[in-house]
Amino acid sequence: MTTQIQLRDCAKTFADGTRALAPFDLTIEGGETIVLLGPSGCGKTTILRMIAGLEFPDAGGKITFDGDDVTHQSIEKRRVGMVFQSYALFPNMTVAQNVAYGLKVHGVARGESDARVKAMLEMMHIEMLADRAIDQLSGGQRQRVALARAIAVQPRVLLLDEPLTALDAKLRVRLRTEINALLRKLGITAVYVTHDQEEAMALGDKIVVMQKGKIAQIGTPHDIYQKPQNPFVADFVGASNRLGGQMRDGKLHIGPGVFDGPGNAHSLHHGPVDVFFRADGLSTCDLENAHFSGDVAAVSYLGERLRLTVSGIGEMPLIIDTDPDHAIAPGSKIHCRVNPDRLTVFPADGGNSSASASATVI
Amino acid sequence: MRRDWKFYSQLGLTTLLCLFIMVPVVMSALAGVTVNVFKGLSSGLTLRWIFEVWDLYAASIMLSLGIAMACLLVTLVVGVPLAYVLVRRPGRLTRLFEELLTLPVAIPGLALALALLITYGGVGGYRTSWLFILTGHVLFTLPFMVRSVAAVMSAMNMKTLEEGAASLGAGFWRRFFTVIVPNAKPGILAGALMVVTLSIGEFNLTWMLHTPLTKTLPVGLADAYASMRLEIGSAYTLIFFVLIVPLLIAMQTLADTKKRAPKRDDTLEDSL
Repeated sequence: MTTQIQLRDCAKTFADGTRALAPFDLTIEGGETIVLLGPSGCGKTTILRMIAGLEFPDAGGKITFDGDDVTHQSIEKRRVGMVFQSYALFPNMTVAQNVAYGLKVHGVARGESDARVKAMLEMMHIEMLADRAIDQLSGGQRQRVALARAIAVQPRVLLLDEPLTALDAKLRVRLRTEINALLRKLGITAVYVTHDQEEAMALGDKIVVMQKGKIAQIGTPHDIYQKPQNPFVADFVGASNRLGGQMRDGKLHIGPGVFDGPGNAHSLHHGPVDVFFRADGLSTCDLENAHFSGDVAAVSYLGERLRLTVSGIGEMPLIIDTDPDHAIAPGSKIHCRVNPDRLTVFPADGGNSSASASATVI
Repeated sequence: MRRDWKFYSQLGLTTLLCLFIMVPVVMSALAGVTVNVFKGLSSGLTLRWIFEVWDLYAASIMLSLGIAMACLLVTLVVGVPLAYVLVRRPGRLTRLFEELLTLPVAIPGLALALALLITYGGVGGYRTSWLFILTGHVLFTLPFMVRSVAAVMSAMNMKTLEEGAASLGAGFWRRFFTVIVPNAKPGILAGALMVVTLSIGEFNLTWMLHTPLTKTLPVGLADAYASMRLEIGSAYTLIFFVLIVPLLIAMQTLADTKKRAPKRDDTLEDSL
């Protein structure tokens, strides 16, 4: 029993006139985990809250759960499970009472409720915390309780609003893996909001990348990572190096190099282009094979690779990975060549892509 | 640890200050159980004055307790939802309302009483009933309840808690009584003690509003001071102490436990 969710023509304008979301359509198939990914303020949380029933779309928008129109239904009636960044556990109740709360509200009989609470706590590996007070729990334990509480009522959709953001890095990865296994096991429709690209890749069947109240791209993690459809998405999923180039006679010209061009380059017309790539888009080489030469501004040793920040090639410093055994010191000169199959090319937008402002490094 | 002269001088000063406050209290209390205060303790101790006060003013004392309880009830029923609205819907209107609410604390009780008399003085039955005094007390104590509850409510991330409860299917009233009120309990309790203490001790307002038949404890106290033997006035003070001190101690204890709220950080245990 999984629920398909459809949002049709949903837009959101706040009371003060701010347009939080441009009209959009989104379909979430039953049992699918969809991740809303984007920087803060992009509208991803507003979409989640619309599905929850905590925000309502502007007139004309329509939200259905398995065909039932829930557009004007309040959150209490929608049977959604919610997990918040700040946990939202009730401090006046024990762990078990928190998990039992929704069951009590839905009038589940005492015996059945007790059994269900026990099963939930066991599933989240926190059965020994049942009688603890909430303020005696750590962040990770709290989020487990929050998950157990949300799932206990067997919601039609599970909504997770940056559930791991408040946790430290190691715990985040651990709990992420557990949530992933949990979602597969339950086969529940889930919507997960995050600004963390890695989290999105690990959890999503599909990723919706959001930019300034608009959907920038919807696709599988593989699509989003390998075939970003615009500079914003490319940048957001880690291809934050940028070089200028030219398309001429179907060939891509970058500096002195001429290439057949990567997959999406054929569709481009004559003219200037922006080339996006990750740290593997350029590799170091000797002088005679080189397309570019630059100055090493910084070096960081990452164990399995050496990460160089190189200036003097593009407008912005480029990030290039190389063999960790190379002895390269900051200030030295390096030569590098382009790996054409690692590039993503878009028509130039005049050099002020909003993407580069929020450049992230993989 | 060796204690130097600083320690002893501070101890001395503190003791002196405590004595300055405590001695009059003890003297007054003693006067209330002394046979003849002008002869001093040598005249012997007695409970006679206490009984006499009870005979004379039992009605006033009971009325005060009654009004305090009624005042508590009203400020709870009105104040807790009010605090909720003020915290949940912050805006210019609620800000203005909060200021208005605090006004009775700022203006002298006499002025407030006068305003009440001018407005409702002509309403016979109301003017002469204890409800008239209750009105004054509620106006005066409500801001204390609202402030105390609102402070706790704004510290508890009420919006997310409510959203959590709503997502589990709980409607407004259910959320209010199972999540909001229990978590606001420290503020409600502190506010309640404050309201009862203030109501029992309120004199300014009450003195203006009272009639011979609606005399409260402090008004009776003034009456006793003015027209009775000193021993009776003192015995009356003693009764007042016995009523009010436990409330003050409870208030203090509550404030202390709030400060010692347990806190827990992420630990190794979390990697279970």
